[in-house]
Amino acid sequence: MKPSWLLIAGVAALAWLARGLALPVFLAMAFAYLLSPVVAWADARAIRRSVAVGALFAAIIAVLLAAGVLLGPRMLTEASALVDRLPGLASQIDTGLDGAVRELFEAAPVFRRVLPEGGGWARQFVLNRAPGDPSDLFEHAGHLFLLAILVPFFAFFLLRDMPRIVTAAMDRLPPQHVETSVAVWRELNSVIGRYIRGVVLDGLVVGALAAGGLWALHVPYPLAGVANVVPFVGPLLSAAAAGLVVLLTPGQGLAGVVRVAVLFLAIKVLDDTVIQPFTIGRSVHLHPALLLGSVVVGNHALGVLGMIVAVPVATVLQETVRLLLEHRRVLARRRWKQS
Amino acid sequence: MLKRGLPRWLEWTMDREQARRAPFLAHSPLFAGLPRRLLGRLATRFLEKAYSAGEVVFHEGDPGRALFVVVEGTVEITQATPGGEHLVRTLGAGDAFGELALLDESRRSRSARVAAPARLLILYKTDFDALIDGEARIAVVVMRNLSRLLAAYARSNPVVVSEPGPGVAEPT
Repeated sequence: MKPSWLLIAGVAALAWLARGLALPVFLAMAFAYLLSPVVAWADARAIRRSVAVGALFAAIIAVLLAAGVLLGPRMLTEASALVDRLPGLASQIDTGLDGAVRELFEAAPVFRRVLPEGGGWARQFVLNRAPGDPSDLFEHAGHLFLLAILVPFFAFFLLRDMPRIVTAAMDRLPPQHVETSVAVWRELNSVIGRYIRGVVLDGLVVGALAAGGLWALHVPYPLAGVANVVPFVGPLLSAAAAGLVVLLTPGQGLAGVVRVAVLFLAIKVLDDTVIQPFTIGRSVHLHPALLLGSVVVGNHALGVLGMIVAVPVATVLQETVRLLLEHRRVLARRRWKQS
Repeated sequence: MLKRGLPRWLEWTMDREQARRAPFLAHSPLFAGLPRRLLGRLATRFLEKAYSAGEVVFHEGDPGRALFVVVEGTVEITQATPGGEHLVRTLGAGDAFGELALLDESRRSRSARVAAPARLLILYKTDFDALIDGEARIAVVVMRNLSRLLAAYARSNPVVVSEPGPGVAEPT
């Protein structure tokens, strides 16, 4: 076996053993892309990267600590109260759902054929989802804790050492391949960075719009709209939460649910036609069919995470293939000239 | 770059490599006239690579994707002629070549070969485009300087010739 194949096999084996680190590394890369404009700002002022990244992380930790001190006790109290009230809330939701279903049946009797009456759906959902074993809860908490440590840890070193890694890699590249291979990387770096920052900016704008809209409709807990910051599933979660809150609010009924649905539909249309072209649109140049196809494949492969990474991964593949094919043509032309 | 404004006890926070790069770029005819703030931003977009003597930076006919600035060492710009390789010019520290790649990705009109071990700064068109999206002034200054270089070349070479003659070096 050739040494190069041994090296490839070794790297593949190592990657397989370290596959558990894929998610934290991916999240750390996304986090690093998000923070990179701040580090670039410091770079332009000739501030050492270690100082800039250290100061940035210290500021983030300070903000998180302040938020924890100010909001933590209240959030803990509300969370434990919510857990205590969960069975009661489920009954309330069922009462609200039953009321809405009855209203729907009166307005359109045809729905009697497709919807069951008096389902007690929420109670069943809560009973099915209640943690049976406390060790499950500890396992989930452990995973989250590990992510909370590993993601900033990797992001810190990615931000601090990336220029050194790039220089070392470039010095090892054969000179005739430097211009094209690094051009591929620079193009992808630019696309991924703009996409990730665009997705986050889009989520923040849509989240603020949803929260404002719910507040204007007098829906209690309008901050449910902030869930929109999570791409793809966020609007669904946010709409479902707002719909449930409306059902539980006396006097809102089915009309309230329809108002919330119209609000979220309007925000979705506004997002697709006006906001996204400004935030994400210019960062990716994928055909709409490829874009949709990549999201479907991503969902099948990795679920929600797959949907989020699908578009940048498809863009990366498209750009890489385009530039490498062009490079291959250039090399072939050069060989033909020499012969 | 910030050395003037920094008290001595804060000098350890300064990136000396980056602080050296911006004034170095200011001496290049292509970036002359850029204010310090923009030179600092531009300097962050450059990558650096070491080349050994004899290595080819790019061949005539390759798609141009980047501009190169010589930090140290010597680079020779050559053109293939029926009589063999013709040396067009020799570049040293501070000289730039491959400028036309910043305009479009057209093919290189000359080849570039390292004559003595060199370190080159490389600015990719992608990075330049991303930078000028937010800072139009960089585009105005660089394009004005590039136009001057092209005009000087056109004045000294009024007729298209098959053999490169003496005079102002053609931008690559």
